[in-house]
Amino acid sequence: MAASGIDYGWRLQGKTVRLCADRSLMADESAHQMEKALRQMSMEYYVLDRCMQCGICSSACPQGLLHDDAPFSPRNFIQRARLGLLNLSEDELWKCTHCGHCQMMCPYEIPFLEVMISLRNLVVEQGAGHVPVSIRSALASIASGGNPWKADAAQRVAWLQGLDIPPVACEPARKVHLFLGCLAGYDPRARRTAQTAMRLLHLAGVPFEVLADEEVCCGDSVRRVGDLATFARLKQTNKRIMLSKGVHTIYTLSPHCYESIQTLYGWEENQTVRVMPFLKLLFQWMVDGVFALTDAPRGRVTYHDPCFFSKHQGLVDEPRQILKGLPGLEYVEMEHHGRKSLCCGGGGGGFWRDVAKGRRLAEVRLDEALATGADYVATSCPYCLAMLEDASKGDERYAKLEILDIGELVWKGVRP
Amino acid sequence: MSQAAAEKHTVMVVGGGVTGLGIALALDGLGIETLILEKGPSLGGKVKDYDKIFPDFVSGRDIVNELIARVERVPRISCRTGTVMAGLKETDTGYAVSTNDHQRLEVGAIVLASGFEVFDARLQEEYGYGIYPNVINGPELESYLDPHGPTGGRLLRPFDGKPARRVAIIFCVGSRSKRLGNPYCSRICCSYSTKQAIEIMERDPGAGVTCFYMDIRTYGRGFEEMYQYAQNLGVKYIRGRVSECSVLPEGDIQVRAENTLLGKPVQGVFDLVSLSVGMMPCADAACLADLLGIERGKDGFFSGVDQYRAPHDTRREGIFLAGSVTGLKPIHDCLNEALSVAGRVAAYLNNHAG
Repeated sequence: MAASGIDYGWRLQGKTVRLCADRSLMADESAHQMEKALRQMSMEYYVLDRCMQCGICSSACPQGLLHDDAPFSPRNFIQRARLGLLNLSEDELWKCTHCGHCQMMCPYEIPFLEVMISLRNLVVEQGAGHVPVSIRSALASIASGGNPWKADAAQRVAWLQGLDIPPVACEPARKVHLFLGCLAGYDPRARRTAQTAMRLLHLAGVPFEVLADEEVCCGDSVRRVGDLATFARLKQTNKRIMLSKGVHTIYTLSPHCYESIQTLYGWEENQTVRVMPFLKLLFQWMVDGVFALTDAPRGRVTYHDPCFFSKHQGLVDEPRQILKGLPGLEYVEMEHHGRKSLCCGGGGGGFWRDVAKGRRLAEVRLDEALATGADYVATSCPYCLAMLEDASKGDERYAKLEILDIGELVWKGVRP
Repeated sequence: MSQAAAEKHTVMVVGGGVTGLGIALALDGLGIETLILEKGPSLGGKVKDYDKIFPDFVSGRDIVNELIARVERVPRISCRTGTVMAGLKETDTGYAVSTNDHQRLEVGAIVLASGFEVFDARLQEEYGYGIYPNVINGPELESYLDPHGPTGGRLLRPFDGKPARRVAIIFCVGSRSKRLGNPYCSRICCSYSTKQAIEIMERDPGAGVTCFYMDIRTYGRGFEEMYQYAQNLGVKYIRGRVSECSVLPEGDIQVRAENTLLGKPVQGVFDLVSLSVGMMPCADAACLADLLGIERGKDGFFSGVDQYRAPHDTRREGIFLAGSVTGLKPIHDCLNEALSVAGRVAAYLNNHAG
């Protein structure tokens, strides 16, 4: 059958792809020019031609669950992008939290997040539109100080001084490293999570070291808001430090750090740095029965999947098995869980945006957690933890929920 | 070890469905003897399970039964059920075929009419087929609407046996999806689903049928009119691909989609959700392609050498294709192909006589 010889448009790569070469149907000449310009500037733009406007992305997008008359719709966004009707100065460009549910569902596998990064890049690096103030300031701070909060780089690990975790002497080859991430460096809540992780490492007898104040932001959110130049610099810095310190295994506390260091740092074959999420180590400890567990804490627990573990990496079973292995807890599941779980709103630069109360994705998530009757919401990402905690603060409804990192919950049950 | 003498046939048709039956009868009309090789236990293929077919609501079962009755009356047609090809060798006069039951056949030409398979809806996990009892697939809905079916033609919820009155039909399940490996349009799902929606509404005007579609492709003669009629009856069409089905405590199914024409999220609760599954090449297509030494396209369906000038010919002489092995088509088109391939086979035999 000759039809089998046709190469379908969406299979092709590069700018030669034109499903409709003559776009003169466009009523407005300026839209036509805009579309042409975007097409020239953004390498990712061509993939939008495959879109058949089925809307499964918009239906899967967690923003559709917000009480919003016109929620963010990837389908609608793509349609306007193709017709040259996007306004890159609008707040809409920054609403996407890169949870990745849309591209996971897309029948034609359109990498929507890459398109987003590419369009944001036009705005951030080439001035094609307006960058929200909070994002601009975070980017400026990371570019100069390696962290998003204009904090002193040296302060990143100052808190480690007072810690009661004595170093374990061992030969360097046995030592693993811990990549703390920006939040653990400067945010008191995330710092507690990091301390707990370090205590668990110590208790399990794993000799470890942190990258100290030389570590800079992993660059995940930087890249996802479109600042590719800064991302490239951060990547270089971190790689240089890891290689100079002879790192062979590095554990990350955040799925965001994990994904960017693991998949985007472009390790050469001879650079044998193994990147692992701390969650996997925790899981291994539980399987091996490394800790003696008590039946504290007691109650019901549910797990909020960070998108960068669940949708991006498919890491969904391990955390559940960890929680089910805690004797005092009954595990319950939220309506949306695993790869279908809902986003906290913190990814893709969402952490740096100001979203009014009542319009936060984290609130939708907390409502689902409440419906399970859980006492604890465990998660494994510092962004998720902060977003969920922020949303629950000062809201009576959520007072009953204790939100914590999965490592902290394990720590509560560990008999020292 | 001595072997029994090979049985001789002029033409062997692989597949005893509506296409295969049509081919045998058409060849008989040209005075050519045929053997039908059928994998299953009986003749009739998938169409014998269809009580009504689109666009004119005649009985598919009646059509097939009539074809079978004629085939059985004709001395020039013989049938073997429960039989598949196991080996193939070229001979001076055509092909020597061995079968799974160790028979040897000598045939002058082979026509492949082994049909299609429906998509396994479990692979599109987000709809919960195989997990939620009230999520069924298109052929199952067909059987619920069939007076000879398991419910005697009553549309009941598998979960509790209560009548289903709020029905959602989700189009393009396992079609038009690169993610699931089936980027093609299955062509007949829009029409068969619309036919099912009409049947539900005609029997129970108080029912509510909602179709979630991407594009309505009612392309054949009378198909578009059928779509118009469905809308007259009150079938609702919502343009948007469903992202999720979830089950509610009473077994009801909640469906989430975007109404892409309004740009608004929609959510609905239904008694029954039917997945309009698309079609795949028949399960043993890869096997058959190897055995016969013929080609398949990227979509997995068989390919002839030239779909314009020699639509039935494969690259191997004396082996021909007909029906849905080359891509999905309505029953009417399959029967047309049966007639045309018979003409092609007759011409081939004529030129290779002796």
